Amino acid sequence: MELLGTWIAAFMTLAVLSFLYKDNPIFRFAESLFAGVSLGYYVGITLDQTLKPNLFEPLATNFNLNWDLMIAGLLGAFLYMRYVPRIGWVARYGLAIYVAYYIGVEFTRKLHGEVLPQMARTILPVRGFDFSGIEAFFTSPGMLALGAIIGTYSVLVYFFFSKEHNAVTRPIARLGVWFLMISFGAAFGFTVMGRVALLIGRLNFLIFDWIYPTFGV
Amino acid sequence: MSLFDRLLGIDRRWIFLFVVLAVTIPILAPLGLPVTTTGSTRAAFDYIESLAPGDIVWLSFDYGPSSAPENDPMAEGFLRHCFLKNVRVVVCALYPLGGLGLANASVARVAAEFPEKKYGTDYVNLGYKDGAEAVMRRLGENIEDAFPTDVNGQPISNMPIFQPKHQTIPSGDAGMGGNVAGIRTIGQFKLVFTVATGLIGEYWITLVNAQFGTPVIIGPTAVSAPKYYAFIGSGQLKGMLGGMKGAAEYEQLIARKYPQMAKFYRSTRLFTGTKGMDAQTGIHAVIILFIFLGNVAFLLGRRRQGRT
Repeated sequence: MELLGTWIAAFMTLAVLSFLYKDNPIFRFAESLFAGVSLGYYVGITLDQTLKPNLFEPLATNFNLNWDLMIAGLLGAFLYMRYVPRIGWVARYGLAIYVAYYIGVEFTRKLHGEVLPQMARTILPVRGFDFSGIEAFFTSPGMLALGAIIGTYSVLVYFFFSKEHNAVTRPIARLGVWFLMISFGAAFGFTVMGRVALLIGRLNFLIFDWIYPTFGV
Repeated sequence: MSLFDRLLGIDRRWIFLFVVLAVTIPILAPLGLPVTTTGSTRAAFDYIESLAPGDIVWLSFDYGPSSAPENDPMAEGFLRHCFLKNVRVVVCALYPLGGLGLANASVARVAAEFPEKKYGTDYVNLGYKDGAEAVMRRLGENIEDAFPTDVNGQPISNMPIFQPKHQTIPSGDAGMGGNVAGIRTIGQFKLVFTVATGLIGEYWITLVNAQFGTPVIIGPTAVSAPKYYAFIGSGQLKGMLGGMKGAAEYEQLIARKYPQMAKFYRSTRLFTGTKGMDAQTGIHAVIILFIFLGNVAFLLGRRRQGRT
């Protein structure tokens, strides 16, 4: 069974990679199969790992203690009522509570967990320069704080569109563009590394899990 | 037509072929190129090293098969590191598409390397739960509410792993739901290690760390890594293993500290971050070469156009 799984995985990998040569029906088949299997897997795992232990089993084993779970279950079921046009409006109740819940959670999370700590870290005392060497100077706390402050504020000036840039703000905005470019460059480098890692993983699978065992290496 | 004109008009499939060769050759004949350690990986390793035997940590598989080559070595490295230090590990998966399968496979693989570790006492796999943010909020109130059972359907209430350090559960006692002062919330954990693709890793930082104070280390895909530097700078992250490079650095640090792991990483046929870095270097050389040639050809072409 494991051998069959390996052969199917190898075939699918080659089918997807065949797109690099040109678009073809085998690639389309693999693409559609992947989309279908992903959705089926998602439905199956949600049923088995979320709804079964958190809803079905508690209701079946001790209804009196867990009857309130019916409310959440019903609200979830309401979402699917949109497929029945006559009572489609019921879906709005489920959706409204779903959206409201996530706004509440997200609002606190973003403000408390991201905006405030990041702002606090940007407002730094510019002190602690180290003049013992070039590397020590550029990595000293004072220089790092200065870099963070200049970078943050110059980028903010670049994104300030309410007033046309003038002789003072234009060079600052230009500096902000440089900071953005360096940041995009770093992100691009990491992205290349990430995508290449996927190729490495697939070729590693083809060589060590498929070709080598097939030829008894 | 000059050489550079021909380079500008090269069929992209030739470039694909070079890329495949640059990846395949180092896989077949590893070069063993050195891997330098970055500060964020060192900080992550040092924090995990500072944990005491018996401490309890949370490992969340927040990625799918699409980023497994980058993330698997991180998760498995962390599991090995914890087992070596006798740190208890609670595993879960919050990524819907394949997170659970990867968690099951990684836990089984590493547990087989440490046969002395007991399931339910030294480690447990709680399985997958949908709705990452909602799950994290529940973990801050009561773990058992979010995960009443483990991945096999066994109730977690009586599992010894959730008892305080060095305390065994009295027979017949009710565990988490009873009178024993057990580990009930994520706030009682010494560390959350999230191996993540997408937003779920960020939730652990901005929700669990911010609201419950649990230290967080992240192992993101390389694509997501740049944004997490801001969280390291603000002190919200204890460390980070950025992509396959981060995984390789972490493996090297583990191997340096624990000689048995150096032997393991040298001899294993499993895919590791360190093995992947040879291919990464090869392919980066090819990319840099083609960017250089493309730019030279473009500039020469523009100069010639200027003359005519």
